[in-house]
Amino acid sequence: METLINNLIASGLFGAKPSFDVVAAIVEFVAGAVVFLVVAMPFAGVVTWLERRVWARIQSRVGPNRVGPQGFLQWLADGLKNICKEDLIPAEADAPLFKLAPYLVMLAFILPWSVMPFSSSLILADLNVGVLFFTSVTALTVVGVLMAGWASNDKWSLIGGIRSAAQIVSYEIPAGLSIFPVVLMTGTLSMQGIIQAQGWAPQHWFVFANPFTFIAANVLFVSALAEGNRTPFDLPEAESELVAGFATEYSGMRYTFFFMAEWGNLFLIGALMTTLFLGGWRFPHVSDNVVVMNILELITFNVKVLAVVFVSMWIRGTLPRVRIDQLMTLCWKYLVPISFADMIGTAVWVAIWPDGNAFMGYLMFAGGLAVLAVFVRRVVYYVRRSRMELYFRPGI
Amino acid sequence: MGAFGSYVQNIKDAVATIFDGMAVTASHFVRKPYTVQYPDRMPVRVQDTLPFRYRGILEVDLEICTGCLACERACPIDCIVISCEKDPKTRSMVISQFDIDIAKCMFCGLCSEPCPTGSIHHTSEFEGADYSLESLIRRFVKEPVQAYKPKKGPETDPRIAPILSRGMRYINEFAQPGGEKPEDEAEG
Amino acid sequence: MSTLRTEEMTLNMGPQHPSTHGVLRFVIRADGEVMREAVPDVGYLHRSIEKIAEKVGYHGFMPYTDRVDYVCAMFTNQGWAMASERLAGIEVPRRGEYCRVIAAELNRIASHLISVGTMGMDIGAMTPFTHALREREMINDLIEELCGARLTFNYMRIGGVAWDLPPGWREKALAYLDHFDPILDEYNSLISYNKIYVERLANVGVITPEEAISYNLVGPNLRACGIKWDLRKDIPYSVYPDFEFDVPVGEGRWGTLGDSMDRYMVRIMEMKESSRILRQALQNLPSGPVLAKVPRNFKPPKGECQVRIESARGDMGWYVVSDGTGYPWRVHVRTGSFAAMGIVQKLSRGLMIADLVTLIASLDVIAPEIDR
Repeated sequence: METLINNLIASGLFGAKPSFDVVAAIVEFVAGAVVFLVVAMPFAGVVTWLERRVWARIQSRVGPNRVGPQGFLQWLADGLKNICKEDLIPAEADAPLFKLAPYLVMLAFILPWSVMPFSSSLILADLNVGVLFFTSVTALTVVGVLMAGWASNDKWSLIGGIRSAAQIVSYEIPAGLSIFPVVLMTGTLSMQGIIQAQGWAPQHWFVFANPFTFIAANVLFVSALAEGNRTPFDLPEAESELVAGFATEYSGMRYTFFFMAEWGNLFLIGALMTTLFLGGWRFPHVSDNVVVMNILELITFNVKVLAVVFVSMWIRGTLPRVRIDQLMTLCWKYLVPISFADMIGTAVWVAIWPDGNAFMGYLMFAGGLAVLAVFVRRVVYYVRRSRMELYFRPGI
Repeated sequence: MGAFGSYVQNIKDAVATIFDGMAVTASHFVRKPYTVQYPDRMPVRVQDTLPFRYRGILEVDLEICTGCLACERACPIDCIVISCEKDPKTRSMVISQFDIDIAKCMFCGLCSEPCPTGSIHHTSEFEGADYSLESLIRRFVKEPVQAYKPKKGPETDPRIAPILSRGMRYINEFAQPGGEKPEDEAEG
Repeated sequence: MSTLRTEEMTLNMGPQHPSTHGVLRFVIRADGEVMREAVPDVGYLHRSIEKIAEKVGYHGFMPYTDRVDYVCAMFTNQGWAMASERLAGIEVPRRGEYCRVIAAELNRIASHLISVGTMGMDIGAMTPFTHALREREMINDLIEELCGARLTFNYMRIGGVAWDLPPGWREKALAYLDHFDPILDEYNSLISYNKIYVERLANVGVITPEEAISYNLVGPNLRACGIKWDLRKDIPYSVYPDFEFDVPVGEGRWGTLGDSMDRYMVRIMEMKESSRILRQALQNLPSGPVLAKVPRNFKPPKGECQVRIESARGDMGWYVVSDGTGYPWRVHVRTGSFAAMGIVQKLSRGLMIADLVTLIASLDVIAPEIDR
């Protein structure tokens, strides 16, 4: 970032002797806006299309495939339809809070994009406390959701809002605690630092480094799903019980804001998992050209994030919803003690092997491959047993 | 330890059953979706794929209607209105009105069962939605027609014979009371 | 220290709701998530079907019986046909009875598929719903070839059935059963044994056997409490004594005896038993007529009769009073869902709101059957 700003000042774009801070501010605002408008918002739209297609194939049906090639423009059509809807605010609702709530939830979705490590030099702000910033800012959704639930003046929305607040606040704790093993192993909270401590090969990723980080990765994935209100933790918007939970009274673009934030959150979940556990943008050094390396690293990062997003869509299609008291039990009685145990275990591990244990990495990776092989065998068993017609192409 | 044992068992159960469930879901990724993409992405029109006994919108072949009013009596919802008088000059029945209100019709099939020639029958049409309620009253008589008199032997008129054979095929699908089948079937 | 002042919320789970099974209304008094009581309010689907019978006569009432419970229409057809036949002393030929059993058992599988599918959907898993409905679509295709309609069948007539099996249908039905049995096992792996699902259903809405009998519960709801009562075995009708099948009973393996998980598993196992009956019926089909001779102006002698059949929702009772004319004097239907609604108010005390949805789904309540 600094080199970019110095280059821009040197090129004379801003006049003779501009203040560094002013130029830096302008450049960073523009870059942030570009990242948000060009990357984050379209992703939140396109991921709805992807989710609907993936979900539909799991359910033996075809998703949207009419609007545009393979239905790719469906999200544009939905967005346009939502903009054209009537802006309805219930008469007894608290109008200022009602209008403010979606923007707070969007804010919680937008801010973490500033620390997103797309590649080795493409990061808006490489904060020293990047990961901490990431997790703490996503907790702003609580304020927005509670506000939406209360201001709607609807008992069902209130129940949804309170459920969601309890859920997000509770699951912050296992999420934060599962970050600890990684921090203990690298000694830094910065996103780029954590990625650079991992290698490009799977056995050098933190998820396979030792059994404690493997469990921590799973705990983080579950907690991140719960924070993002995804099935199996989507009580606040449980369609079959509360119509749309805290967002029942919302219509049109305000409703869309809530759900764009939720779908965009998928990317954030994927990014967190990728950065901390799956090796981030690390790619083997195949060329000395910085631009080529950056492009390859960008592609690697996106592929890994999309893989995690795909897994979370797949889970959504498979699992039922947990009830609120079971959600709390899962968090406080299972995830929190497990993440504490992880923390202590990793601390002991780092004390014994400060530089990491390569053998354990290979062993865990082999174990992961074995689990994958068992899974594929089970899938083949189900495919062979049913007499339905097979169809391998993703498009219909 | 009972409590710790059940704790660990819960975790093991959860992981094992979720693993299995995800394997089932993954196996669905490679199966063909069951969706029929009606109406445009179909190789054949849906109406042509429906079985012969399909109870779609009613239709009357007036050439073979005998004017017996059996369908009007059988309809439980009174959606068939027929006017049939004896013409003094030709000594035969003349049908001057045959209206079926398909907005009322519940597609039960009770009218086509007692028809002696199969003139009132269900087609495989099901797309009847329209903008006006008036268009849902199908009036089958444009000008008064003479009712059909079934002949003792096979029908010889080449215009009526195919219609009659289709009608008879339709009503022979119905079970005959007491088991008198028109043609001998070895097994059903 | 004084305790915090709390208030009770009165919520309305209105007639339009994504998860009540039909048009039902509940007035819930809740203390946060935990309910004090949920009072059901029925009657939104009353169509006076029993009164209509007095106007349309015996033959004409058959399509109306489809609408009493459209999810398992073959059973309602069979109930009405059997009541009229018993009044007039008509005997149905053997092949007709076999056709009736085949159609009825296919419909039982279809009805249970809807029940377990919507149960999965209410719990939050959308996938089992579409899988169950896909299987039901295949059954609908089979029945469409048989009688021409996919939902309101109007297949049975007084004295037998209206259409004989078309050529080639038996092989198609057997092929469907071969396809269906592994799919049922796969369905169980997907959702029935899933830990989250079991946790949601176990110990929710426990009905003791004494309560079940005193509240008049029937069908899978009763059998889940451990009481082995199935009309097909205990008060046999039609040709059910010819077939060999078991009656699945709840065991309380996953939680308590008589909880929602038991009711759910009883339905899954009943589908397996129906598949067994179907195979036996299709393989041992006798030849002969399917319809007895019944006069067009059907005038049964004066009298009354009551017929009980085991429909998908339990013991369905048809009570017909005839006054000697061609139109019945009074018809009354006693359905299993009506009794099941009676127990909801008692069971809902102390449940959470999410559990109310589970409870209604597990009782397999179909709204048109309650109100007729």
